Amino acid sequence: MKNFKSNKLLNIFLYISLFIISVPMVILLLWTFTGRWPWPNLLPKTYSLRAIKEIFAPHARIFQTLFSSMLLSLSVAILSVIIGIMTARALTLYDFAGKKLIAFLSIAPNLVPGTVFAMGIHIVFIHMLLSDTVLGVIIVHLVYTLPYSVSIMRDLTQSIGERLEMQAYVLGASPFKSFIYITLPLLVPGIKTSIGMAYIISSGQYFITLLIGGGKVKTFNMLMVPFIAKGDRALGSAYALIFMVSTLLILIITDRVTKKLPYQNDGRKYKWNWN
Amino acid sequence: MNKKTPYILIMPIVLLGVIFIFGVVNGIIQSFGYIPAFNLVNVTLSYYKEILSDPTFLDSLKVSLQISVISSVLAAILGIILTAALVYTGHTEGRVLQVIKLAIIIPHTIVALFSISILSQNGLLARVFYRSGLINTQRGFPLLLYTKNNLGIILGYIWKEVPFVAYFSLALMSGINNTLGEASENLGASKLKTFLYIILPLSMPAIRKAFLIILTFSFGAYDLPFLLGATVPKALPVQAHIEYIHPNLRHRPYTMAINGLILAVTWAMAGIYYLVTKKGRVKGDIHEEF
Repeated sequence: MKNFKSNKLLNIFLYISLFIISVPMVILLLWTFTGRWPWPNLLPKTYSLRAIKEIFAPHARIFQTLFSSMLLSLSVAILSVIIGIMTARALTLYDFAGKKLIAFLSIAPNLVPGTVFAMGIHIVFIHMLLSDTVLGVIIVHLVYTLPYSVSIMRDLTQSIGERLEMQAYVLGASPFKSFIYITLPLLVPGIKTSIGMAYIISSGQYFITLLIGGGKVKTFNMLMVPFIAKGDRALGSAYALIFMVSTLLILIITDRVTKKLPYQNDGRKYKWNWN
Repeated sequence: MNKKTPYILIMPIVLLGVIFIFGVVNGIIQSFGYIPAFNLVNVTLSYYKEILSDPTFLDSLKVSLQISVISSVLAAILGIILTAALVYTGHTEGRVLQVIKLAIIIPHTIVALFSISILSQNGLLARVFYRSGLINTQRGFPLLLYTKNNLGIILGYIWKEVPFVAYFSLALMSGINNTLGEASENLGASKLKTFLYIILPLSMPAIRKAFLIILTFSFGAYDLPFLLGATVPKALPVQAHIEYIHPNLRHRPYTMAINGLILAVTWAMAGIYYLVTKKGRVKGDIHEEF
C-alpha cells in the first residue's frame, strides 16, 4: 500500500516535470505564428505568418548563415570524435610518459569558464591571425567539446578492450585493418552520442564565438541573440524554432547514418557486452 | 603494438591542450599587470587588491555566487527526485527520456527567450495569475527579469539543469536499483529505506559530479545573465567582458584580475569537491570511475 502511494507521488512529480519542460516549447511554437497576443489572453488573439515571412525573406539571408553554422558545428563534432577516439585509445590501451597529465588535460576545460579562456587566448589568436577566422572558432569550440568526447570514448574503449582487435591482428590483419573492421564498428554507439553532444555544445556557444569570431564568423545563435535581447518574442521564437529543428535534424541524420554502418553492437547494452 | 603509437594518438589533444593552457596562463599573467604590448611591464598585485576592494566587483561576486549556488542546489535536489521518479516508474528509456533530453539540447540563449515569454510581467505566468485572481494588474506580478533578485536567471538554470542531473545520474541509479536495490527490498527493507540507505548513497558519485559541473558552469557562464540580468550589479563574467571592451587598453589587467578571481572561486569549488569525494571513497565506493 505504501509503495503504491510513493510511486504515485513520483509519477505526479515526473508528469509535472515533463509538463514544465514541454510548456516553453509549445509557447515558442505559438509565438512563432502569433499576430497579436494582448494581455491578459492566455492564447494569441490573431495568428500571422509575419515572423516566418520575415525570416524567409531573401534579404535576411538566414539560411546561408544557418548552413554555414551547421557545417561549422558539424566539423567541430566530427573532429572532436576523432580526437576523442585517439585520446581514449592512448589513455586506455597504452602506457606512456605524461599519461596522467593528458587525462587531466582532457577534463580541465570543464574547470575554466569559456569567458575566462576566450579572453585569455584572444590576444594570442590575434597574433597568430586565428581571430576572426572559422579555424579559430573551431579550435576554441573543440576545447569545450573534447572533455565530453574523450570521456564518452574512454568509457566505451574500456568496455570493449583490445582482445578482439588483438585476435584479428594475431590472425594476420594489419593493426589499421583490425581497428577499422573490429573496433570501429563497436565504437559506433559512442561515436553517435559524442557527435550529438559536441554538435549541441558547439552550436549553443554564444560568447566565445562572438569574441573569437569577432562578428566575422556568424553562427545562427549570434543571429538570434539580438532578437532575444530586444525581447522580440515573435521573431526570437521563429529563430529559436529553426535552430531547434536544425539541431534535431542533425541528431536524426547522425542516428540514421550510424545505423546503416555494418557490424555493430547493441548500443544500449555496450557497457556489459565485452567484459 | 608500437612504442610510438600512443604519442601519435595524443598529438591533437596535446596541441589543443597547449592552446588551452596558453590561454589560461596568458590571462593570469596579464592579471598581474604584465602586458608588454600595451607598455605594461611591472608585475604587481595591485590590480587584484583594487578589484577586491571595489564594491562593484564585490556586488558582482555576490550575484554570481547567489545565482550559481541557489540554482545548482535546487537543481541537484529536484534532479535526484526526477532521477528516482524515472527509475521507479520504469522510464529509463523511451519517449519520456526523449522529452528530458530536449531540455539538454536547447542552448541557454533560447532558455533566456523562454524566461522572457513566461516570467516577464506580461508573460504567460503573469496572465495565469491574473486570470485566477491572484493579481489585479499586470504590475502586480513580481519583477523576475532584469532585476536584482535574478530569479529569471535562476529559474532558467533550474529548467535546464534538473534534466541534466537526471540524465547524468540515471544510468548509475537504475543499475544500482536493479541489483542492490532489489536485493535490499527482497530482504525486507522498505522502498524508502532502500532508497535512502542503498540507492542514494551509491548514486552520489554521479550526482556529486553533475552538481560540480552545474555549479561551476552557472558561476562562470555568460549567456543567461547577459540576456536577463540587471543593469547593476552584473554577474562576474558579464562585468569582466565590459571591462574587456574598455577603450583604454591599459585597463586590461582589471579584466584579467576579475577572470583570475572567477578561476580562483571555480577551482575552490572543485577543490572542495575533491576533498569531499576523497573522504567518501574510503568507505568503499563501488564506482571508482566517478
